[in-house]
Amino acid sequence: MKKFLVLLILAVLGYYMYDALYGIGIGIPRFTDGVKDFYLDKTVSQLHVANTVTSIVVNFRGFDTLGEVTVLFLAVTALGSILYKKRHDVGTRSILFSSSSIVRSGSKLLFPAIVLLGAYVFIHGHLTPGGGFQGGTIIATGFLLMLLAYENFKVSHTVLSFVESFAGILFVVIGLFGFMNGGTFLQNFLPEGALNNLFSGGVIGIIYVMVGFKVATELTGLIYTILHEKD
Amino acid sequence: MNTAYDIIGAILILIGSIFLFLGGLGIFRMPDVYNRLQAGTKATTLGGMSTILGIGFLMVEDYWGWLVKAIIIVIFIAFSNPISSHALARAMYKRKHYPLIMSKDENMDAYREVADKNQNKEETI
Repeated sequence: MKKFLVLLILAVLGYYMYDALYGIGIGIPRFTDGVKDFYLDKTVSQLHVANTVTSIVVNFRGFDTLGEVTVLFLAVTALGSILYKKRHDVGTRSILFSSSSIVRSGSKLLFPAIVLLGAYVFIHGHLTPGGGFQGGTIIATGFLLMLLAYENFKVSHTVLSFVESFAGILFVVIGLFGFMNGGTFLQNFLPEGALNNLFSGGVIGIIYVMVGFKVATELTGLIYTILHEKD
Repeated sequence: MNTAYDIIGAILILIGSIFLFLGGLGIFRMPDVYNRLQAGTKATTLGGMSTILGIGFLMVEDYWGWLVKAIIIVIFIAFSNPISSHALARAMYKRKHYPLIMSKDENMDAYREVADKNQNKEETI
């Protein structure tokens, strides 16, 4: 009976999915040509952004990016709930062995440089290749280096979750500010600036900074959870 | 057209590509993980540094920031490349992966004893 119900629900869902997707016409040239020209035209003329990929990710498809960040957040939360039981009762320790003094002192020198590079990548996300996701990942690799070098390197989960939540809330709030001028979600309300300047593109740079912070804290928490076990 | 900066940059890139080729040849040719690490690290450190510095010199007439960025990348490579290969070699040594010349030597047992004694020390190298 249960299996029959599941099959029935799947059949109904499948019918409506087919019905919805059939009309789109994926793959026919008229579809791809129009979208490509639209993006290439509007990126410079409307948004004043040098990087087309960034304009698609943050502005034209900004709502999808919010969903993407949410998916990452949910994945990290689920992994943490599986791997990280009862962390208040017993202490945790690193599963790694101690590393040599060369690695220890070298990673101290390299860690600020890696964090600086990550910040550079996501601050210049609307000008150069890269963006929030890439910059956040670079920062997380810096924390990974420190966790590999120092087996008692501690990352505060409170600070991580605070920064992560703050960045996510600011993303949504900036999106909601777009309604104020009678526009849509994530519409630009800041001055656009000159093309190829750091302060150009309105809200796109700010949103990418938020995405960078969110990805960096999420991945750092994920790496910290994976590398530690119950004592 | 050919200014002094261009010539300096071209010579640096030539030196760098020669060293990168030698590093690749060494990784292909050497028999052992330690030998391969030596070839892959020493040659590619100088090769990468020289190539990036050469690009900085080639572009310095457009914008002086290119040379500054190239020097920063060179400093980063000078730190990161030897440290990473040191960590790799140390991990192989800790996993009791002995060098090839040791396993062919007749005094291999004595070597292994010394190596095991060094490994068991908690003191970091």
